Amino acid sequence: MNFYLIANIITCVCAFTGFVYGIVKFFRPRKAVYAQMITLAVGCMAFGRLYQVVRLLTGGSIIDEFQLGILGVIGSLMFFFSANFGAMDSLADDGSKQFLKYRLISLAAPVTLAVIYLAFILFGEASVLAKITGAVITVFAMQASYYNLKHLIFPDVDFGVIRCLKTYNLLALLYSLACVAEAVAISRSSETATFIICIITGLIVINIVPTAARGMKKWTI
Amino acid sequence: MDNLVYILFICLVAPMLLMLLLLRKRSRLLVGYMIIGIFVSLFVSELNTILLNLFDGDSLYVTTTITPISEEIVKAVPVLFYAIVFSDNRDRVMPIAFATGVGFGMFENVVILVQNIENVSVSWAVIRGFSTALMHAICTVTIGYGICFIKKKRKLFYCGTFALLAMACIYHGIFNMLVQSDYKYFGFVLPAVTYLPLLYRQYIYHNSNKKTEKV
Repeated sequence: MNFYLIANIITCVCAFTGFVYGIVKFFRPRKAVYAQMITLAVGCMAFGRLYQVVRLLTGGSIIDEFQLGILGVIGSLMFFFSANFGAMDSLADDGSKQFLKYRLISLAAPVTLAVIYLAFILFGEASVLAKITGAVITVFAMQASYYNLKHLIFPDVDFGVIRCLKTYNLLALLYSLACVAEAVAISRSSETATFIICIITGLIVINIVPTAARGMKKWTI
Repeated sequence: MDNLVYILFICLVAPMLLMLLLLRKRSRLLVGYMIIGIFVSLFVSELNTILLNLFDGDSLYVTTTITPISEEIVKAVPVLFYAIVFSDNRDRVMPIAFATGVGFGMFENVVILVQNIENVSVSWAVIRGFSTALMHAICTVTIGYGICFIKKKRKLFYCGTFALLAMACIYHGIFNMLVQSDYKYFGFVLPAVTYLPLLYRQYIYHNSNKKTEKV
């Protein structure tokens, strides 16, 4: 039984379910770009996983050599980062000293991910390829996680738009963590750990778009 | 045989260039970008030969992992140029992105035909004609969607376009992998499966625009 194949199929199905839900719900004229970016993040994840599934089914490997599935993870993290940094952040944070405390606390998320990478991949017994791919994923996960944690703890006194999206930001933060954790599991060739992490990732990606949709519904109330 | 690709390039592009002089505005833009797509395809065919040599001739690995990245980046450049220099209006950028992709796909079929002249058939032409060009067009349109934000929302443009580029590369890689495997029919159907919802959305969008104009 190929654990990697089953794990990827589960995540792929979950991601496609979330993606289709997002497409139906948000890809209409005059819908928020923010929601469309979250949908595209899940879409990236879905296509990345589909690539890995097809690669495994056609006799290829997803561990021993560089493969495009990693771009799915990077793309999804970029979308999560872009959605918060490009569309949301300026609505809550005006850059004043008043919120410096929250900005500093938010650094805890990227620092944690960096420590995980350093301890378990870079200074562990991983191959050079695993170290490089792990580093790339960690860098993108770090930037996405910073804004997810920031929007989770930020008071958002003016508009309250970010306050409605706390559950979504929590899920997105867990997703960043799961991406780095999966890189650790793959670098150690641990099939069981990869399988468990993929199931957790699947549960996150299937819930992330509906959660964001529920949060955004409160904007109009 | 190598010269044959250049001969076919001239045969295809020369009449299109002459036609370009007679066309105006939108039609000229679309045909112009189709020619650019063909030229980009010619450039990429040379680039792919270099990449293939770099990876010791492992064509399966190169076509499923490396060329999707190189092709998508090179295809996006003319669209990006248009968005920066002329207009980032979505109604203008998306058609030229589609035209670039179709031109690219058309000429890629020509290159593959020249390289496999003994193995091609009418069914090959039908399958490649409907799938490859469509796949390239969908990939370029995907990137074009992000490029539209270049002047409106810079923050969204940088990250969004990179992420969409990643998405297009993966989609391209899936297609290339499927068409070279035992599941090749899934590969041939993949672009159509993606194209039909886009067509449906475009139809709905068009109708809703018409209704708004009437009101």
